[in-house]
Amino acid sequence: MTSVVFGVIELSWWQLALALLLVLVVAAISLRERLGLERDLVIGAVRAIVQLYLVGLILATVFSAARWYWVLLILVVMAAIATHAAVSRLGKPLPGVYWIAATALTLSTAATLTYVIGVVIEPRPWWEPQYLVPIAGMILGNSMTSAALAGDRLQSDLFARRDEVEARLALGFSGPEAVQPLVRAALRAAMIPTVNGMMTVGVVQLPGMMTGQILAGASPLTAIRYQMVVVFMMAVATALGSLVFVRLAVGRYLTRAHQLRRYLL
Amino acid sequence: MRDGIFQVQHLSLAYPARRGHPAATILDDVSVDVERGSALTLVGPSGSGKSSLLRCLNRLEEPTAGVVRFGGRPIVELDPRELRRRAALVQQTVVLFEGTVRDNLMVHAPDTTLDVSEGRLREALTEVGLDAALLGRDAATLSGGERQRVTIARALLRDPQALLLDEPTSALDPPNAMLVVETICRLRDARGLTIVAVTHTPELVRRLGGTLLYLVKGRVQAYGPVHDGGIVDERLQAFLSGTHP
Repeated sequence: MTSVVFGVIELSWWQLALALLLVLVVAAISLRERLGLERDLVIGAVRAIVQLYLVGLILATVFSAARWYWVLLILVVMAAIATHAAVSRLGKPLPGVYWIAATALTLSTAATLTYVIGVVIEPRPWWEPQYLVPIAGMILGNSMTSAALAGDRLQSDLFARRDEVEARLALGFSGPEAVQPLVRAALRAAMIPTVNGMMTVGVVQLPGMMTGQILAGASPLTAIRYQMVVVFMMAVATALGSLVFVRLAVGRYLTRAHQLRRYLL
Repeated sequence: MRDGIFQVQHLSLAYPARRGHPAATILDDVSVDVERGSALTLVGPSGSGKSSLLRCLNRLEEPTAGVVRFGGRPIVELDPRELRRRAALVQQTVVLFEGTVRDNLMVHAPDTTLDVSEGRLREALTEVGLDAALLGRDAATLSGGERQRVTIARALLRDPQALLLDEPTSALDPPNAMLVVETICRLRDARGLTIVAVTHTPELVRRLGGTLLYLVKGRVQAYGPVHDGGIVDERLQAFLSGTHP
């Protein structure tokens, strides 16, 4: 017997256990094909259950407490985790990279979120967690991915093209001028997946948020409107996140005397 | 009174230890004078700090101690971009940008002016012994020797007072290497250019004459005129006679 609340089928523990059987199929494939993924699969499944359950509990508490500072705290924690994740994806260490990533993610998220929440959606109150938390999460996730992509590309290009950069410096270019083509390449690398994603959104597969809204009973026409807002805000979050990150990171590789810090490469 | 263009006093360069890399001393108390219009060749085993010394002269590298003067002024008081136009570096790895030879010769910083009239470009190519017809060629299709000489022409278009050459012949076969050696010697004579060259080519040392600095592990092993027999060091003599390994 299934229960229905506000048009949504409430899933019982028993139903979740049935869904977990799907993981057994993956485990069977891994065993049969000797992929050696069984252990990671079990850990992954357990982590998914525990993490999602905890997040659910926290969000439920914050939603019911209905206080702006709790919502803000959640955002800060999300930003800190995203910063750590972005930094850990970089190929090489860079001094001060935590501050760089934190600044890039905070600025890009704050700017995007302010516009989307304050101007476009306008929930009342503005900190209404039902809107603020999932939207901030999506923006942060995109900023994080784009900052990491751009940073990784910048690092590998600075190493591979260091002679080219120094050739420009030797010809009398300033540091920022000498690295400009590399900065451009890094920004393009970070933004191309998002731009390409806009081309196929809804055609190849339904985006997660739209799927969620439809499952939660929203009309597909409402869901696509939200999805459009999401697509556009992700584009700007990607651009801002990678731009701020690359601009700040490239500064670490250059000195005031227009030198390339080769030892950091 | 001598007209010094570069004065290097007690120059040291060291890199601090970092994750995976121990601290390293690259240059240790190096002093050297270069007179205007003269030549200085930097020789020594690989890893002896020759290229780093060259890079300190146009401030691509920042020494940990000591002073480099250019035209009498400490280079830290000069705009590095201006210094690098006056003391033009030709790197060991030839870097040509995408495009034609003309595009490469015309490369300059956005906020600067450079006389890139057709006549000037042709003149620059002729000066390094290349046919002016190469101007329209895709830079990627040039031979090694042509590429090297285009980078020298590109440096010359800035009207430098000194040319810093980092192993200008190392990637070339002997005939092309000789062409580049001749080009460099001709430039010094015709333009009165000061030449500072890192090299493993005894022929370039002999033809350029001037002064020689022999570095080993970042320290000056020998320093003196090339032709006066002033330098007495067995390993160096072996190098100059071409029998150095």
